Amino acid sequence: MKGTYMNLFCPKTKSLMKKFKNYLFFSILFLFYFVNYSQFLENMNVSFESYSAYYLDDKKTGDFKLENRFRSNNYLNLKSIFAKNWNFELQIESYMPKPLLNYSPNFENTNISTLKFEYNIKDLNVVFGSIYEQFGSGTSLRTWEDKSLGINNSLLGLNVNYKLSDEINLTSLIGQQKKGFKYSKGFVFGLDSEIDISQLIDSNSTFLFGLSYVGRNDQEIKSESFDNLTNLYSARIDYSGNSFYTNLEITQKSNNPILVFGTPSDTFIKKGSAYLLNTGFFNKGLGLDFTFRRLENMTLYSEISAAGNEFNESIVNYLPALTKQHDYSLTNLYVYAAQPDVNFYVEDLTKAGEIGFQTDLYYSFKKESFLGGKYGTSISANFSLWNNLGGKYDFLNQSYKTDFLSFGEKYFSELSFEIRKKWSKSFENIFLYVNQYYDKRMIEFESGQVKSNIFVVDNTFKINDKKSFRLELQHLSTKNDNKNWYAYGIEYNISSSFSIYYNNLYNYQNPDEDKKINYYNFGGSYTMGMNRLAVNYGRQRGGLVCTGGICRYVPESTGITFSIITSIF
Amino acid sequence: MKNLKIYFICLSIFNFSFLLSQDRIPSMNLKTIDGKTINTKSLSNKNGLTVYSFWATWCVPCINELDDIDKEIDKWKEAKVNIVAVSTDDSRTKRRVRPMINGKNWDFAIYLDENQDLKRALNISGIPHTIVVRGNKIIYRRIGYKPGDERNLYEFILSQNKKFDEKI
Repeated sequence: MKGTYMNLFCPKTKSLMKKFKNYLFFSILFLFYFVNYSQFLENMNVSFESYSAYYLDDKKTGDFKLENRFRSNNYLNLKSIFAKNWNFELQIESYMPKPLLNYSPNFENTNISTLKFEYNIKDLNVVFGSIYEQFGSGTSLRTWEDKSLGINNSLLGLNVNYKLSDEINLTSLIGQQKKGFKYSKGFVFGLDSEIDISQLIDSNSTFLFGLSYVGRNDQEIKSESFDNLTNLYSARIDYSGNSFYTNLEITQKSNNPILVFGTPSDTFIKKGSAYLLNTGFFNKGLGLDFTFRRLENMTLYSEISAAGNEFNESIVNYLPALTKQHDYSLTNLYVYAAQPDVNFYVEDLTKAGEIGFQTDLYYSFKKESFLGGKYGTSISANFSLWNNLGGKYDFLNQSYKTDFLSFGEKYFSELSFEIRKKWSKSFENIFLYVNQYYDKRMIEFESGQVKSNIFVVDNTFKINDKKSFRLELQHLSTKNDNKNWYAYGIEYNISSSFSIYYNNLYNYQNPDEDKKINYYNFGGSYTMGMNRLAVNYGRQRGGLVCTGGICRYVPESTGITFSIITSIF
Repeated sequence: MKNLKIYFICLSIFNFSFLLSQDRIPSMNLKTIDGKTINTKSLSNKNGLTVYSFWATWCVPCINELDDIDKEIDKWKEAKVNIVAVSTDDSRTKRRVRPMINGKNWDFAIYLDENQDLKRALNISGIPHTIVVRGNKIIYRRIGYKPGDERNLYEFILSQNKKFDEKI
């Protein structure tokens, strides 16, 4: 039970702990039944989500070798305004008998995941309990929840937000960070201020200025060589005019030990930094955007020892990959994950962070014009390039010195081009072309670089207001790695509530005959207002799977999955 | 004990399902495209209904829905509807919001819910997600989007307007 939620209050022995847990569980239930019949119910909101799977043996990909074929993740959430100015939130999660594959083993059995009392009056907002907060773009701090990614890194503690005036907003917080049902031993605390300068000078444009501080104090690992307190200082400025905007954010991280073979080094200690510049131009029908970012040794963990953990737990700041986030399966085979950290595992593959940029263009052709047609046409393009930091790397002596604007070896680049065209009231197309370069060697420490070209055609046929049919065709061609793939998907929306689909990915040119596998999935869903039931049967691809900027290695699996989402409002 | 707990949890869910009703948009802060803070309270539409559509730049069905609404935006305006498109893009993709909405030239209000606080407060598990509000009261919710859903939503709004006019 070490380190669990209740442990923060008063645990001495295991049996006492268990009794306390049960006591707490039934007290909360009692409380609910009590409020059930009280007037507070008027403002109560309950939702329930359940995702379950029954894993099967597969002739092609092998037997299911882990314990518990049936696995289930369940989330019960209650929110209420229980008194004037007071909000309450409770989320109970149950992973019974085990969590779904790819979820952290720190999710065990049933426990409280979010417990929050919030006081709101005029310009003051105070949260006791689970804190979800973000400073600036999240480079110094972001605590958030995404159930599908298994992420909930909220802080358990105190958060105070005060609006000093119309122009000035202050936020402070302190807490211990959640990892599964456990909590970090290290403390995280922070301060953020934002000033709206445009209001002070009465300007039509917007001018915002922000300063933040985030500290992490972890006393678990002591050493004379490094400080247990790591500090992050950040400054940002944001300008928006009538057709132009620009913003700059700079974050500095104090000395922190680099992890060598899983333990923090006494000699390899480095500072970190993040520079983010974003600028854009826009007009009716046209949008252009450019982002530059340089990250060096930048991830902050609430526990020093958590560095590099495979479940992305205990991460205080948010450093996502700045590339186009795709929605089609073959465009997500070789996905770039941001490389914010120092890595000296392999000689010749030493890295200290990333430097690069991405740019976006959006344009719409007017309706009734030659290219616009009756219903209009829109196009978009994206280009991104990410490299290692240029500089001198000394593998044997474990040290490096980077140059500020120098591009090292390339990790990834991507060019994509998309056209959306509605031909008639009942037929619509999306065409997508993607050219990718992905260095498996630099990113995953596996052999090979992959250059690929991907084509996607998405066709939607609307039969009437309730029925529609969608056909998705994809092809990926590459001479590297596992060679060519194709994929297709069909989706039939039978009514506004019922939908069925079938899709398949096939690596038809894989040099290994045994690895020519159809990753097929079929299923259906029933949606009625806030209630949704979905069933899927199929085979999931393994490897590095990335969604929402978070990448994880997942094993291949075959099985039946079903999900229930319901909410009563 | 475990089974007992599960039993009680299930019982609670069913018990609550018949009794509970939170039917209001919570008072929360969103950001405007320019980065200014705005409260959901100030988004209520005095003349008619407000449609909240939760979307993201990377979500294909979300963009299909907003494109389809925008194609007939004049009809929606005639029905006195305020469309509020809430982007749930976080700092990975939020920089794409401004060029995209300008490139698309959508004729409705866009706000940012960058750390997904409003999305969490409304228990939205996935997008697209559409909510119809009169004043602050939620009168309709829908998960997902299929072609044609926007027409059904429009019909629903007309019927609600009719009901409301009859009451007056």
